[in-house]
Amino acid sequence: MQNRPTGFGNPWLQLALSVACVLVSEFLLKRGATEVADTGSAWSWTGLNGLASPLVWWAILLIIASFVSWLYVLRYIPITIAFPLSRVVDILVPLGCWIFLGELISPLRWCGIALVVIGLALVAKPIAQIEERL
Amino acid sequence: MSFLAFFFIVVSLVSFVAAQLVLKRAMEATRTSGLRNAQFISKVTGGIILMTISFFLTLGLLQRFDLSYLYPFQGLSVIFITLLAAVALKEKLNMRLAIGALLISIGIVLVSLS
Repeated sequence: MQNRPTGFGNPWLQLALSVACVLVSEFLLKRGATEVADTGSAWSWTGLNGLASPLVWWAILLIIASFVSWLYVLRYIPITIAFPLSRVVDILVPLGCWIFLGELISPLRWCGIALVVIGLALVAKPIAQIEERL
Repeated sequence: MSFLAFFFIVVSLVSFVAAQLVLKRAMEATRTSGLRNAQFISKVTGGIILMTISFFLTLGLLQRFDLSYLYPFQGLSVIFITLLAAVALKEKLNMRLAIGALLISIGIVLVSLS
């Protein structure tokens, strides 16, 4: 972690922005996909009809922004620290589905989500180390 | 969940993990020979194609399922990476990874039953 810039270039701020962009892009993709959903057509499995929704295009922009800020973060923060921290998104996405998207999440699904989140928290560091070597 | 939906979830995740690894290799190639070399360009192109496949399959799935249902399946990527590490790096599974992978697997089964 050498010569960390301050202000907007602060890598910790960029990490938070990257996570926020991923989070919002997930919600926009879901809203966009629902807007144009055509489940009767086999073609819609390709997801290409999703491009008809402006929300999907906003999501694409946010995905690119999160990717750029993630690359910037990795210049200053080791991946074995940045990657586990970025996984806070695994908690925020299900919470956001419930709060912002109004999805009805059954107790069984909450239990499953909780187990996945705990499992991901446990393996985040070793997985980042493996990814570095792969 | 239908077999088709599960198949697309797996293909989408495998393409995503593969894209990450291919893009990482592309960036490593730039250290020795810069940006203007065939190896870098072919790997970046391959990575972007894989990312695109994963993106559109996810978009197709989101038209049919809740995000809170689909999102936990991303935990499967950890299982793929662990398996890949066992094959490619001959890495032995440590206790932490094994417990984590087990919890993720049980969690995904519960979510898929919900």
